[in-house]
Amino acid sequence: MPVIDNEIWFRIKEGEAAAFAELYDGFAGAMFSLSIEILGDRWEAEEVIQDVFSYLWRKPESFSPKKGKLSSWLLVITRNRSIDRYRSRKRRLDRGESDETLAQKPDPSLIDGAAEATQNDERNHLQHAFGDLPKEQRQVLELSYFKGLNHQEISDHLLLSLGTVKSRIRLGIEKLRNSLATLRNE
Amino acid sequence: MDSLKQQAVDYTLGILPKEEALLFEALVEEDDDAQKHLTDAQDGFAKLSLTAPPSQLGAELRQRVLEQAQPQRDLNPFLESRDICTLRDNFTAFDHRYSGGGVTADISDLSNKSVTSNIEKNYESLIHLLPLVSGDSRAAAGDFSDLQNFLRSHGSYNDLINKTLQHNWSGESQTSRSVLRTTLATLPSLSFFSDRLRDFQPSVADTRRLFYLCRDQLKIMRASFSDLDPSKLVDDEKLRLHGAGLLRSKWWGAEHAYFSSNGKVKCGHFFDGPITERCVEFAEYDANMYCLANLLSPRSSDGEFHFELLKDAVPGCTLAVASAKMSDHHFSTLSAIIDRVALPSNQFTQDQFLWDLIEDSMTQGHQCTSTKELREQKAYGYSRIGSCTYLWFAWPAIPNTQDGADAVTGNPLL
Repeated sequence: MPVIDNEIWFRIKEGEAAAFAELYDGFAGAMFSLSIEILGDRWEAEEVIQDVFSYLWRKPESFSPKKGKLSSWLLVITRNRSIDRYRSRKRRLDRGESDETLAQKPDPSLIDGAAEATQNDERNHLQHAFGDLPKEQRQVLELSYFKGLNHQEISDHLLLSLGTVKSRIRLGIEKLRNSLATLRNE
Repeated sequence: MDSLKQQAVDYTLGILPKEEALLFEALVEEDDDAQKHLTDAQDGFAKLSLTAPPSQLGAELRQRVLEQAQPQRDLNPFLESRDICTLRDNFTAFDHRYSGGGVTADISDLSNKSVTSNIEKNYESLIHLLPLVSGDSRAAAGDFSDLQNFLRSHGSYNDLINKTLQHNWSGESQTSRSVLRTTLATLPSLSFFSDRLRDFQPSVADTRRLFYLCRDQLKIMRASFSDLDPSKLVDDEKLRLHGAGLLRSKWWGAEHAYFSSNGKVKCGHFFDGPITERCVEFAEYDANMYCLANLLSPRSSDGEFHFELLKDAVPGCTLAVASAKMSDHHFSTLSAIIDRVALPSNQFTQDQFLWDLIEDSMTQGHQCTSTKELREQKAYGYSRIGSCTYLWFAWPAIPNTQDGADAVTGNPLL
């Protein structure tokens, strides 16, 4: 994960524009990649990034170091805003309303520059770690995190009990969380 | 302990019921275990986030985002001006809020069949163009071949504008106003960007701009002619809040063009929350914003104009303000257009239509047939403070709403 120290948040809270730029340069790429993976739409993903940064600049106190790392918080709110849009779009389609941009297409403009080598190592490691999860944990995490289904919807979709859905998400996410710590200790 | 872990996971995913989410938040403030579980859950999901394949960001997005950290303009001189005080003193919200649709005519009512045909062709063409510029199109990913092929086969949208404007429109009938709204609000800018994408070095930024213009133009056309695409109009008329954020995303840092005059848009104060209840109403609001942009774009002395959307400046309404630095000469031309005094030349007739469209929309929005009364109340108008010219219009606010458009999860971390 790109290293974003919570210290940058204190500078943003003080209104330091340079810190805001630093955060964008260090982290917007990861946020954008996540958003476009969920939405499959470049313009909508750009709007999400714009919204999240705008929100942070206008209301920096919405983050609290008590809630953990700024980087994790940013990714989670990017995910939540992306899921909001995805659900809203899906709801319109479910009602039979028009929407030309639902198709989930992989983004073709991938980058693998040398400057991103470290991040890519981490990403590859996480992708492997995710791939190594038992299939049933991977499946519920995908449905929950990237598709925005709630526990009940996953339970109905996979014909599992609610308890099983919850425990698979919890166990899967714990394994993933520990996986990067393993990489750093290697 | 497992229950607390589960709560932290559910809270992070935004699926904890609201009351439980509030209790959990309170717990996080004082309980170390709850804090730790929340941090762990967020870290875990953050790692899952990073499994997403990398996508390249454009330089234009960076510019747009970082503009937000620039100091905002001081609007106080304008907000404390006599005009806005008059508006504040006179504005009253009414029981039955207008929600769009009153500026509609039937395309079948147009007596000139060549204009009818142009409008229908234009609509059809834009329906084909939209997926070519959407966020999942090849052009959005930097491959412009499909888009350029389409634009080359179609020709310039400017031809359509010229063909329509060569007829003698008075702007007085509902049908004329619908024709003028669909021809002058969004289409000149759409034409500018589609020509540039077709003839010059294409860019993802221009593609994005064209997407918004195309989408807005289609909605404005449907809202203007009820029989143009009745099935889609049914969607547009459904209750669905549209937030100020939609305007902020679209206008922030955008380039705008009115025929060959182009300028940079700067956005300042934008509140969070809904401004219209339905797509048809939003189309009308949008058309007004484009008309303001079209009036300012050719007259700005530094190539920039500003948009602000304010909610609390005048209780009961949202206030859209457009402003630009302007020379005395340009200001006197603009004031002549707005006050309908003798125009220096016929070339300003089109600009007068732009103001007429805003005026027409105000009579609908305020459910008042007297433009004189609305002007006296300062529901819309113009003013000049120093070298800066301000244009504004007040739109009745949606009462008793808290969230923005289409808010569907609690987004507990926000």
